[in-house]
Amino acid sequence: MLWLMFKESVLFAWQSLVSNKLRSMLSLLGITIGIFAIILVFTIVDSLEANIRGSLQSLGNNVVYIQKWPWSFGPDYPWWKYINRPTPQYHELDEIAKRSKTTEALAYRLGGRRTIKYKSNVVENAVVAGISYDYYKIKAFDLSAGRYFTKNETDAGYRMAIIGSEIASGLFPNEDALGKEIKIAGQKGKVIGVIKKEGESMLGVSFDYQVNIPFNFARYILDPRSMNADPVLFAKAKPNISNAEMMDELTGILRTIRKLKPLAEPNFALNEISLLSQGFDTLFAVVGIAGWIIGGFSILVGGFGIANIMFVSVRERINIIGIQKSLGARNIFILFQFLCESVLLSLIGGFFGLLLTYIATIFAKGVIEMEITLTGANVILGFSISVLIGVISGFVPAYTASQLDPVEAIRSN
Amino acid sequence: MKRPASITVLCVLGYISIVLAFPQVFSPQVKKLGLFMPVLSGVLVAANFMAYVGIWYMKRWGAELFLYSYFLKTILDILYEQTGLLFYSGQLFSLVFSIVLLRYYQRLDQNL
Repeated sequence: MLWLMFKESVLFAWQSLVSNKLRSMLSLLGITIGIFAIILVFTIVDSLEANIRGSLQSLGNNVVYIQKWPWSFGPDYPWWKYINRPTPQYHELDEIAKRSKTTEALAYRLGGRRTIKYKSNVVENAVVAGISYDYYKIKAFDLSAGRYFTKNETDAGYRMAIIGSEIASGLFPNEDALGKEIKIAGQKGKVIGVIKKEGESMLGVSFDYQVNIPFNFARYILDPRSMNADPVLFAKAKPNISNAEMMDELTGILRTIRKLKPLAEPNFALNEISLLSQGFDTLFAVVGIAGWIIGGFSILVGGFGIANIMFVSVRERINIIGIQKSLGARNIFILFQFLCESVLLSLIGGFFGLLLTYIATIFAKGVIEMEITLTGANVILGFSISVLIGVISGFVPAYTASQLDPVEAIRSN
Repeated sequence: MKRPASITVLCVLGYISIVLAFPQVFSPQVKKLGLFMPVLSGVLVAANFMAYVGIWYMKRWGAELFLYSYFLKTILDILYEQTGLLFYSGQLFSLVFSIVLLRYYQRLDQNL
């Protein structure tokens, strides 16, 4: 019975929409724009978030970065407190390794942008990274050809390099890179490995544009005491050891190594990925709220448009309602009939809004090198909002229609 | 039956609260609570709105729908720990509304 009533109501609603095509199209435009605005913003925010969180994950959740500068967001960054701090040094790596019981791996890295040459081929502004042996345990990467350094090679500072895929294709477009001698800021180095292509990263930490060389070789190219070389000590926690636990131990060890008095402020920063995540959380929240406000207003306006058109629709069909009621149609049937019409109108608007969003994501893929995906959750959200706005804006006109007196309704012009 | 002034005032306040609650259905905060949370909140907002329309026309189903939706919303808010200032002010408003509705319940129309 209920199903039959629903079916008939939908059919009535459909006929009404089809008979007034232009009016229906114009009234659902508000919903289309509203759904498009809000779902597009949610889609972009979700995709950006997934991308950045993926990049952050690749940096390692259980890795602590020992640096001069703390990672912090906001306008009140007290840089003058940190400017005179010493940069982390390579010898501190061994000192920490001797004392630490919570770290699984420790590594050192310093980097800078330099020019790489092979014969007449040149790659400008490549990232040259001087690394210690255990660096691969901190930041995993796959090699498409060749091998990683041995412990002896990194410690002795052999003139060798492991290059990223973009560097390899820039220097060796038509030949194999392995075994070739390249020039890194004028210093000769032999290519022993090529890193598998990683693709673009939102945080710009891709290995594709990087040349990794042993730290003791990097000393000839980069100055470890310079702030520009951004020296970092990485500490990775053992399984079942929390970052907080490891950071407590590292604080004690570093204070001992640097001979800091008990009340002296630490002259190092222990940074972890969660700090970056927190910064991004704030950013995403702001963007999400902005999209929500813009889309919300559009949907509200669209809702008023549908309510208006439904009142017109009731007024136009007042005689028909009277006839239906005099032939035995119940109030609930009339209510359902008009409610279905407004929900259907709103759903069609929502569908076009989602279609526009989908087209925008395809278009965006071609313009920016980032995966923007319209997720199932956002599609459900889009349709839910459409149904909700349809119900809210159509209920009052539908209820008014259902309450009409059949005699009065038939008599009215 | 003529609508009492107290119900008129509370219904107008209720309509305003719907306008304010509507955008919250698809707010980032609600979205974070789960995939079907915006759908559930949407259903509750729609039910609440219908209830206010029913009460405006002095219908018994409106009062009943209001009480059901109020009860469900309270459970949902407690389950998802959404018990901030908005929750308590909403509770106070709904409680006052419920008392007023119970006072006039016998005089409400039983038909649709």
